[in-house]
Amino acid sequence: MENPSLLPLLDARLPLTEEKVAEAARLARVPLAQAWGVVRYYPRYRGLPQGRLLVDDPVARARGFARLREAADGSYPPLGLEALSPIYLRFNPEGRFVEWQGSLVPFRDFRLPFSLGHGKRLIPPEPILSLAQYRALGGLQALLALLQGRASPEGVLRAVEEAGLLGRGGAAFPAHVKMRTVAQGASPKYLVVNADESEPGNFKDRFLLEHHPFLVLEGALLAALAVGADKVFLYVREEFEAAQEGLQRALSELEEAGLLPVPTEVFRSGGLYICGEETALLESMEGKRAEPRLKPPFPGEKGLWGRPTLVQNVETLANLPLILREGPDAWRALEPKLFSISGDVAHPGLYELPLGTPLGEALRRAGGELGEVQAVLLGGAAGVFTRDLAFPLRFKERLPLGAGALVAFGRDVDLWEVLLGLVHFLKEESCGKCFPCPLGTAVQVEMVKRRERNRALVQDLAETLKGSLCGLGQSAYWAYQSLLEVEGAA
Amino acid sequence: MRLRVDGKEVEVQEGALLLQVAPVPTLCHHPHTETKGLCRLCLVEVNGRLHPACATLAQEGMEVKTETEALRRLRKTLLEWLALTTDLSQAPELLSLMERYGAEPARWPEVAGRKEREALKDNPFFLRDYAKCVNCRRCVDACGDGIMGVYALTLEDRGLLAHPTTPLGRPLPETPCVFCGNCVQVCPTGALRPLTLEVA
Ligand code: SF4
Ligand code: SF4
Ligand code: SF4
Ligand code: FES
Repeated sequence: MENPSLLPLLDARLPLTEEKVAEAARLARVPLAQAWGVVRYYPRYRGLPQGRLLVDDPVARARGFARLREAADGSYPPLGLEALSPIYLRFNPEGRFVEWQGSLVPFRDFRLPFSLGHGKRLIPPEPILSLAQYRALGGLQALLALLQGRASPEGVLRAVEEAGLLGRGGAAFPAHVKMRTVAQGASPKYLVVNADESEPGNFKDRFLLEHHPFLVLEGALLAALAVGADKVFLYVREEFEAAQEGLQRALSELEEAGLLPVPTEVFRSGGLYICGEETALLESMEGKRAEPRLKPPFPGEKGLWGRPTLVQNVETLANLPLILREGPDAWRALEPKLFSISGDVAHPGLYELPLGTPLGEALRRAGGELGEVQAVLLGGAAGVFTRDLAFPLRFKERLPLGAGALVAFGRDVDLWEVLLGLVHFLKEESCGKCFPCPLGTAVQVEMVKRRERNRALVQDLAETLKGSLCGLGQSAYWAYQSLLEVEGAA
Repeated sequence: MRLRVDGKEVEVQEGALLLQVAPVPTLCHHPHTETKGLCRLCLVEVNGRLHPACATLAQEGMEVKTETEALRRLRKTLLEWLALTTDLSQAPELLSLMERYGAEPARWPEVAGRKEREALKDNPFFLRDYAKCVNCRRCVDACGDGIMGVYALTLEDRGLLAHPTTPLGRPLPETPCVFCGNCVQVCPTGALRPLTLEVA
């Protein structure tokens, strides 16, 4: 089967020297050239800037990024933390800290400091961190039913299909279709939980991992048993140290209780936005530069180490126990979705709302003053600006919902500054494998800097980025184009 | 197998690439390397969606369009961006493509590109002049999986800064390089070129 993965071997040797890189390459049985390409790709192997870094997100920019930045030694890509803005990170030889509201918290202790917003919901508002607590609330019923033969893998697949569950990572692809493809494939096969959320304004997966590890794990195990996966990997954003440790603890509890039917491992992600693209994620797990693969073949047929692999988002999987508990019809009647709501609202945080909720209603829940809203960024970096507050928050609508991030901007915000933050982010995160994306995102930054409104030029930019290899480049112009539309409508 | 290309019916063998029936420009594709699908110059429209002709198998009944207005604009723009960021003076094929598509790089803002990179002369045989490199990766593949299996080349950095380098960034003579010249052979832009061609 697989060789030992290069990334954990490098992680174990940080800080790296040339000898240590060579040693990791030997142990992973890959050419030194491959290991070096990896070292020169991921920030943590290249050497991160040390010091006090400002989380460089569009909201921080809108709130006077230049001024905030004076108090920082550099900037760091968004972690979706702008709801708590402004956030600094301190990287020094003693470790990594989040500087938040005047206190320094080590990464491994830092959890999102809010609970689920009020309203009718399926997920408990408060953190459920022990197995006993989880079971007391009726958790694990679906997994036990499957393990005791009262339910079947086919039953799980059918329930997911009847519920009409669409992937919650941004692409909104029907979950059962992916699951059935893998279920039909030959062993060995894998389940990879995509927990690499790292988009400006999105923090719902991080919340689930940190506050509801058992819900996520039960969902993952249900999916693994349903498709016959031999192993589960949780690919967790590297900065989410508290989540990684929490998942480890939860896994040990399940194992001790004899309730871990499939070997499950936490994998520290490559720590880049592109690592969340499902094929780039697989490349990084195989010890390569996280660069998207050409599709076809799709991961369901040829995924990790060429084997059938189900790659599924955290929130998507967390819905499996809920669907089985409520029944597909009851679940469908509620269509729960987590929304990360931030920006100019009184109570930024996480809200579970039924799909179809109007945008304005969602903002009102988070304490938004609708009369004061200039525009909302819907969907994060691969998102669009809109001022249509009646817009129903549903997948496959006129505007992309993405992973469910809503960032509200008040009247006094300069939206072009926000846009500059977004396009800067996309340029920084382009992997550079295909041609239109690294070129186009770099050109786009210059166009936004000079507030270019020439329609023909923006159209050519869009047309060309559309030809990129993966979603990052393909959606990189959406925010720009939508801002011009919002301006035109103003 | 029968498919339609720009409205005309064509007949191809099972397993043929669209490239074999679609007259489109290419850059990253090379018959002796496995590089494909990167440059996107060969994109064609199949049943309304974009696919790289160099990496897509022909299928019965496909409707392929190779030269729509949108595709022309895409190629023109892409060539302009390449010229904006990279020294194409020794890439005659790209220069003639630019002419064919009426490229005018000056309509875009300046981008701090890759043109400023210093040429590396670390061996007696060829130059590595990455100011002229478009990052097609043909050389990396030729040296590694594609032809030689030597792995004296790999990739550095991300985004627009991504380009080939050697393991540990060493001069070529300190790598497994055997100076076979395959990388020079496959380079489409003159970024790798024999020193014998240089005027002293
Ligand atoms: S679109 Fe951007 S991120 Fe995606 S493969 Fe191309 S260069 Fe990489
Ligand atoms: S000349 Fe050296 S670097 Fe180039 S392909 Fe041959 S072995 Fe590789
Ligand atoms: S040096 Fe030449 S062959 Fe290698 S990536 Fe650059 S342009 Fe392509
Ligand atoms: S030649 Fe097909 S993408 Fe480059």
